[in-house]
Amino acid sequence: MHKLRVADINLLIKYKYDTMLKQGAFYEADFEKPNVTIDIPDEMLEQWHKESPHLTIDDIEYVYTGASFYEALLHFNGFMLHSSGVVKDGYAYLFSADPGTGKSTHTALWQKYFGENNAMIINDDKPAIRLTDNKLWVYGTPWSGKTDKNINMKVPLGAIVFLERSENNWVKEIEPKEAIPLVMQQTIRPVEKDKMIMLLDMLDRVLSSVKLYRLGCNISDEAVEVSYNGIRVEE
Amino acid sequence: MKIKDGYLLREVAGSNIVVPIGEGAMDFSGVITLNDVGAFIWKNMEEDITKDELVRKILAEYDVDEETAKKDVEEYVSSLKGADLIAD
Repeated sequence: MHKLRVADINLLIKYKYDTMLKQGAFYEADFEKPNVTIDIPDEMLEQWHKESPHLTIDDIEYVYTGASFYEALLHFNGFMLHSSGVVKDGYAYLFSADPGTGKSTHTALWQKYFGENNAMIINDDKPAIRLTDNKLWVYGTPWSGKTDKNINMKVPLGAIVFLERSENNWVKEIEPKEAIPLVMQQTIRPVEKDKMIMLLDMLDRVLSSVKLYRLGCNISDEAVEVSYNGIRVEE
Repeated sequence: MKIKDGYLLREVAGSNIVVPIGEGAMDFSGVITLNDVGAFIWKNMEEDITKDELVRKILAEYDVDEETAKKDVEEYVSSLKGADLIAD
Protein backbone atom coordinates (compact mmCIF):
# COMPACT_ATOMS: atom_id res chain seq x y z
CA MET A 1 0.00 0.00 0.00
CA HIS A 2 1.15 3.55 -0.77
CA LYS A 3 0.49 6.66 1.28
CA LEU A 4 -0.42 9.70 -0.81
CA ARG A 5 -1.82 13.08 0.02
CA VAL A 6 -4.00 14.26 -2.86
CA ALA A 7 -6.18 17.39 -2.65
CA ASP A 8 -5.43 17.53 1.09
CA ILE A 9 -6.92 14.06 1.52
CA ASN A 10 -4.82 11.26 3.04
CA LEU A 11 -5.03 8.23 0.75
CA LEU A 12 -3.98 4.72 1.56
CA ILE A 13 -3.93 3.22 -1.90
CA LYS A 14 -2.82 0.01 -3.54
CA TYR A 15 -1.08 0.06 -6.91
CA LYS A 16 1.86 -1.67 -8.53
CA TYR A 17 2.11 -0.74 -12.20
CA ASP A 18 4.39 1.83 -13.84
CA THR A 19 2.03 4.74 -14.51
CA MET A 20 0.76 4.94 -10.93
CA LEU A 21 4.24 4.31 -9.50
CA LYS A 22 5.57 7.21 -11.55
CA GLN A 23 2.68 9.66 -11.13
CA GLY A 24 2.01 8.78 -7.52
CA ALA A 25 5.61 9.49 -6.47
CA PHE A 26 5.02 13.26 -6.40
CA TYR A 27 2.15 12.87 -3.92
CA GLU A 28 3.79 10.60 -1.34
CA ALA A 29 3.18 11.69 2.23
CA ASP A 30 3.40 10.42 5.76
CA PHE A 31 0.38 10.21 8.04
CA GLU A 32 -1.04 8.02 10.77
CA LYS A 33 -4.65 7.74 9.70
CA PRO A 34 -5.92 7.70 6.12
CA ASN A 35 -9.10 9.59 5.21
CA VAL A 36 -9.73 7.20 2.33
CA THR A 37 -8.52 3.70 1.49
CA ILE A 38 -8.47 2.56 -2.14
CA ASP A 39 -7.81 -1.16 -2.41
CA ILE A 40 -9.06 -2.59 -5.70
CA PRO A 41 -8.73 -6.41 -5.72
CA ASP A 42 -6.49 -7.83 -8.47
CA GLU A 43 -9.38 -9.98 -9.71
CA MET A 44 -11.46 -6.85 -10.40
CA LEU A 45 -8.65 -5.21 -12.36
CA GLU A 46 -8.28 -8.40 -14.38
CA GLN A 47 -12.03 -8.54 -15.00
CA TRP A 48 -12.07 -4.93 -16.24
CA HIS A 49 -9.01 -5.70 -18.35
CA LYS A 50 -10.93 -8.54 -20.02
CA GLU A 51 -13.79 -6.15 -20.76
CA SER A 52 -11.39 -3.57 -22.26
CA PRO A 53 -8.63 -5.63 -23.92
CA HIS A 54 -7.40 -2.62 -25.93
CA LEU A 55 -6.05 -1.16 -22.67
CA THR A 56 -3.06 -2.47 -20.74
CA ILE A 57 -3.45 -3.65 -17.13
CA ASP A 58 -1.32 -0.61 -16.26
CA ASP A 59 -3.92 1.69 -17.93
CA ILE A 60 -6.74 -0.13 -16.14
CA GLU A 61 -5.11 0.41 -12.74
CA TYR A 62 -4.53 4.09 -13.55
CA VAL A 63 -8.14 4.65 -14.72
CA TYR A 64 -9.86 2.80 -11.86
CA THR A 65 -7.72 4.11 -9.00
CA GLY A 66 -8.53 7.57 -10.39
CA ALA A 67 -12.25 6.82 -10.61
CA SER A 68 -12.21 5.58 -6.99
CA PHE A 69 -10.43 8.71 -5.83
CA TYR A 70 -12.82 11.08 -7.63
CA GLU A 71 -15.83 9.24 -6.22
CA ALA A 72 -14.38 9.57 -2.70
CA LEU A 73 -13.67 13.26 -3.38
CA LEU A 74 -17.43 13.94 -3.31
CA HIS A 75 -17.36 13.26 0.45
CA PHE A 76 -14.87 16.10 0.96
CA ASN A 77 -16.76 18.98 -0.67
CA GLY A 78 -15.02 18.24 -3.92
CA PHE A 79 -15.49 17.06 -7.47
CA MET A 80 -13.55 16.43 -10.66
CA LEU A 81 -13.97 18.54 -13.76
CA HIS A 82 -12.76 16.97 -16.98
CA SER A 83 -10.56 19.88 -18.08
CA SER A 84 -7.04 21.11 -18.62
CA GLY A 85 -6.06 23.51 -15.84
CA VAL A 86 -3.47 26.22 -16.29
CA VAL A 87 -2.13 28.40 -13.47
CA LYS A 88 -1.48 32.04 -14.32
CA ASP A 89 -0.97 34.99 -11.93
CA GLY A 90 -1.85 32.76 -8.97
CA TYR A 91 -5.21 31.52 -10.29
CA ALA A 92 -6.20 28.24 -11.93
CA TYR A 93 -8.22 28.51 -15.15
CA LEU A 94 -9.97 25.31 -16.16
CA PHE A 95 -10.64 24.66 -19.85
CA SER A 96 -13.28 21.98 -20.18
CA ALA A 97 -14.45 20.11 -23.29
CA ASP A 98 -15.05 16.67 -24.74
CA PRO A 99 -11.92 14.61 -25.47
CA GLY A 100 -10.29 15.58 -28.74
CA THR A 101 -11.63 19.15 -28.82
CA GLY A 102 -8.29 20.75 -28.00
CA LYS A 103 -8.25 21.73 -24.32
CA SER A 104 -4.70 20.44 -23.80
CA THR A 105 -3.66 22.08 -27.06
CA HIS A 106 -5.02 25.38 -25.79
CA THR A 107 -3.25 25.28 -22.42
CA ALA A 108 -0.03 24.17 -24.18
CA LEU A 109 -0.37 27.37 -26.26
CA TRP A 110 -0.52 29.36 -23.00
CA GLN A 111 2.74 27.72 -21.95
CA LYS A 112 4.38 28.57 -25.26
CA TYR A 113 3.10 32.16 -25.12
CA PHE A 114 3.85 33.00 -21.46
CA GLY A 115 6.71 30.53 -20.82
CA GLU A 116 6.38 27.25 -18.95
CA ASN A 117 7.14 28.81 -15.55
CA ASN A 118 4.50 31.51 -15.97
CA ALA A 119 1.73 29.18 -17.11
CA MET A 120 1.92 25.86 -15.32
CA ILE A 121 -0.38 22.94 -16.05
CA ILE A 122 -1.78 21.92 -12.65
CA ASN A 123 -3.57 18.95 -14.22
CA ASP A 124 -4.03 18.34 -17.93
CA ASP A 125 -7.23 16.30 -17.76
CA LYS A 126 -8.85 15.78 -14.35
CA PRO A 127 -8.12 18.48 -11.76
CA ALA A 128 -9.86 18.25 -8.40
CA ILE A 129 -11.90 21.20 -7.13
CA ARG A 130 -12.58 21.55 -3.41
CA LEU A 131 -14.41 23.99 -1.20
CA THR A 132 -12.43 24.59 1.99
CA ASP A 133 -12.54 27.61 4.33
CA ASN A 134 -15.34 28.98 2.15
CA LYS A 135 -12.98 29.23 -0.80
CA LEU A 136 -12.70 27.21 -4.01
CA TRP A 137 -9.37 25.55 -4.69
CA VAL A 138 -8.02 23.63 -7.65
CA TYR A 139 -5.62 20.77 -6.94
CA GLY A 140 -3.27 18.78 -9.08
CA THR A 141 -3.70 15.00 -8.79
CA PRO A 142 -1.72 11.99 -10.10
CA TRP A 143 -4.54 11.31 -12.57
CA SER A 144 -4.03 13.63 -15.54
CA GLY A 145 -5.26 11.59 -18.50
CA LYS A 146 -2.96 10.76 -21.37
CA THR A 147 -0.22 13.20 -20.36
CA ASP A 148 1.84 13.27 -17.18
CA LYS A 149 1.24 17.00 -16.79
CA ASN A 150 0.16 17.51 -13.20
CA ILE A 151 1.64 19.37 -10.23
CA ASN A 152 1.11 18.65 -6.55
CA MET A 153 -0.18 22.09 -5.59
CA LYS A 154 -3.36 23.99 -4.69
CA VAL A 155 -4.38 27.27 -6.29
CA PRO A 156 -7.55 29.40 -6.04
CA LEU A 157 -10.04 28.72 -8.84
CA GLY A 158 -10.01 31.63 -11.32
CA ALA A 159 -12.65 30.64 -13.88
CA ILE A 160 -14.25 27.69 -15.65
CA VAL A 161 -14.17 27.93 -19.43
CA PHE A 162 -16.05 25.67 -21.83
CA LEU A 163 -13.92 25.43 -24.94
CA GLU A 164 -15.00 24.78 -28.50
CA ARG A 165 -13.17 24.95 -31.81
CA SER A 166 -13.77 28.04 -33.90
CA GLU A 167 -12.18 29.85 -36.86
CA ASN A 168 -12.28 33.11 -34.93
CA ASN A 169 -11.34 33.61 -31.31
CA TRP A 170 -14.05 34.81 -28.95
CA VAL A 171 -15.03 34.70 -25.27
CA LYS A 172 -18.51 35.03 -23.81
CA GLU A 173 -19.49 35.00 -20.15
CA ILE A 174 -22.35 32.60 -19.45
CA GLU A 175 -24.95 32.17 -16.72
CA PRO A 176 -24.86 29.22 -14.28
CA LYS A 177 -28.03 27.90 -15.94
CA GLU A 178 -26.17 27.42 -19.22
CA ALA A 179 -23.17 25.85 -17.47
CA ILE A 180 -25.08 23.17 -15.51
CA PRO A 181 -25.53 20.67 -18.37
CA LEU A 182 -21.99 21.37 -19.59
CA VAL A 183 -20.47 20.58 -16.18
CA MET A 184 -22.66 17.51 -15.80
CA GLN A 185 -21.23 16.18 -19.06
CA GLN A 186 -17.65 16.70 -17.89
CA THR A 187 -17.67 15.09 -14.47
CA ILE A 188 -18.27 11.57 -13.20
CA ARG A 189 -22.01 11.29 -12.59
CA PRO A 190 -22.60 9.32 -9.43
CA VAL A 191 -25.25 6.62 -9.54
CA GLU A 192 -26.14 6.67 -5.83
CA LYS A 193 -28.58 9.28 -4.62
CA ASP A 194 -26.51 10.50 -1.65
CA LYS A 195 -23.46 11.07 -3.84
CA MET A 196 -25.53 12.83 -6.52
CA ILE A 197 -26.83 15.18 -3.81
CA MET A 198 -23.24 15.89 -2.74
CA LEU A 199 -22.26 16.66 -6.34
CA LEU A 200 -25.25 18.93 -6.98
CA ASP A 201 -24.77 20.81 -3.71
CA MET A 202 -21.11 21.33 -4.61
CA LEU A 203 -22.07 22.56 -8.10
CA ASP A 204 -24.56 24.92 -6.47
CA ARG A 205 -21.68 26.58 -4.62
CA VAL A 206 -19.23 26.52 -7.51
CA LEU A 207 -21.55 27.79 -10.24
CA SER A 208 -22.97 30.55 -8.01
CA SER A 209 -19.56 31.95 -7.13
CA VAL A 210 -17.11 31.46 -9.98
CA LYS A 211 -16.99 33.17 -13.38
CA LEU A 212 -18.13 30.93 -16.24
CA TYR A 213 -17.29 31.41 -19.91
CA ARG A 214 -17.55 29.90 -23.34
CA LEU A 215 -14.44 30.18 -25.49
CA GLY A 216 -14.25 29.62 -29.22
CA CYS A 217 -10.66 29.32 -30.33
CA ASN A 218 -8.24 28.32 -33.04
CA ILE A 219 -4.56 27.42 -32.62
CA SER A 220 -2.67 30.72 -32.57
CA ASP A 221 -1.10 33.33 -30.32
CA GLU A 222 -4.25 35.38 -30.78
CA ALA A 223 -6.26 32.53 -29.25
CA VAL A 224 -4.20 32.90 -26.06
CA GLU A 225 -4.52 36.70 -26.05
CA VAL A 226 -8.30 36.66 -26.50
CA SER A 227 -8.73 33.89 -23.96
CA TYR A 228 -6.44 35.39 -21.28
CA ASN A 229 -7.80 38.92 -21.64
CA GLY A 230 -11.37 37.66 -21.60
CA ILE A 231 -11.22 35.44 -18.53
CA ARG A 232 -8.47 36.66 -16.24
CA VAL A 233 -9.37 37.61 -12.69
CA GLU A 234 -9.12 41.39 -12.25
CA GLU A 235 -7.36 42.21 -9.01
CA MET B 1 -50.33 9.34 -10.87
CA LYS B 2 -46.78 9.94 -9.74
CA ILE B 3 -43.27 10.58 -11.01
CA LYS B 4 -41.27 7.44 -11.77
CA ASP B 5 -38.58 6.44 -9.31
CA GLY B 6 -34.99 7.13 -10.16
CA TYR B 7 -34.96 10.90 -10.49
CA LEU B 8 -33.63 13.61 -8.22
CA LEU B 9 -34.86 17.24 -8.20
CA ARG B 10 -32.45 19.77 -6.75
CA GLU B 11 -31.87 23.52 -6.92
CA VAL B 12 -28.48 24.35 -8.40
CA ALA B 13 -27.35 27.97 -8.67
CA GLY B 14 -30.92 29.23 -8.99
CA SER B 15 -32.14 26.57 -11.44
CA ASN B 16 -34.41 23.63 -10.66
CA ILE B 17 -32.78 20.64 -12.25
CA VAL B 18 -33.74 16.98 -12.48
CA VAL B 19 -31.16 14.24 -13.01
CA PRO B 20 -31.56 10.48 -13.19
CA ILE B 21 -30.04 8.36 -10.43
CA GLY B 22 -29.60 4.62 -10.07
CA GLU B 23 -29.91 2.46 -13.18
CA GLY B 24 -31.41 5.28 -15.26
CA ALA B 25 -28.27 7.35 -14.76
CA MET B 26 -26.40 4.94 -17.01
CA ASP B 27 -28.47 5.58 -20.15
CA PHE B 28 -29.46 9.23 -19.78
CA SER B 29 -26.70 11.77 -19.36
CA GLY B 30 -28.86 14.86 -19.78
CA VAL B 31 -30.30 17.36 -17.34
CA ILE B 32 -33.94 18.49 -17.19
CA THR B 33 -34.52 22.10 -16.16
CA LEU B 34 -37.86 23.12 -14.63
CA ASN B 35 -39.27 26.55 -13.88
CA ASP B 36 -40.67 27.22 -10.39
CA VAL B 37 -44.19 25.98 -11.13
CA GLY B 38 -42.75 22.92 -12.86
CA ALA B 39 -40.58 22.16 -9.83
CA PHE B 40 -43.59 22.63 -7.52
CA ILE B 41 -45.66 20.20 -9.59
CA TRP B 42 -42.76 17.73 -9.75
CA LYS B 43 -42.29 17.79 -5.95
CA ASN B 44 -45.98 17.15 -5.38
CA MET B 45 -45.95 14.32 -7.90
CA GLU B 46 -43.21 12.46 -6.04
CA GLU B 47 -46.12 10.96 -4.07
CA ASP B 48 -49.27 9.68 -5.76
CA ILE B 49 -51.62 12.59 -6.53
CA THR B 50 -54.57 13.42 -8.81
CA LYS B 51 -54.78 16.34 -11.23
CA ASP B 52 -57.51 17.96 -9.11
CA GLU B 53 -55.34 17.78 -6.01
CA LEU B 54 -52.45 19.33 -7.93
CA VAL B 55 -54.67 22.23 -9.01
CA ARG B 56 -55.73 22.80 -5.38
CA LYS B 57 -52.09 22.78 -4.23
CA ILE B 58 -51.14 25.33 -6.88
CA LEU B 59 -54.05 27.59 -5.90
CA ALA B 60 -52.91 27.42 -2.27
CA GLU B 61 -49.29 28.21 -3.15
CA TYR B 62 -49.50 30.72 -6.00
CA ASP B 63 -51.56 33.78 -6.68
CA VAL B 64 -53.26 32.45 -9.83
CA ASP B 65 -56.83 31.76 -10.91
CA GLU B 66 -58.21 28.25 -11.22
CA GLU B 67 -58.19 28.31 -15.01
CA THR B 68 -54.46 29.10 -15.14
CA ALA B 69 -53.68 26.44 -12.54
CA LYS B 70 -55.65 23.83 -14.51
CA LYS B 71 -53.86 24.82 -17.69
CA ASP B 72 -50.43 24.55 -15.98
CA VAL B 73 -51.25 21.12 -14.60
CA GLU B 74 -52.52 19.86 -17.98
CA GLU B 75 -49.44 21.15 -19.76
CA TYR B 76 -46.95 19.79 -17.27
CA VAL B 77 -48.58 16.41 -16.87
CA SER B 78 -48.78 15.94 -20.63
CA SER B 79 -45.13 16.92 -21.14
CA LEU B 80 -44.06 14.60 -18.30
CA LYS B 81 -46.12 11.83 -19.89
CA GLY B 82 -44.55 12.58 -23.25
CA ALA B 83 -41.10 12.20 -21.68
CA ASP B 84 -42.20 8.89 -20.10
CA LEU B 85 -41.59 10.19 -16.58
CA ILE B 86 -44.94 9.23 -15.05
CA ALA B 87 -45.69 5.89 -13.43
CA ASP B 88 -49.46 5.26 -13.68
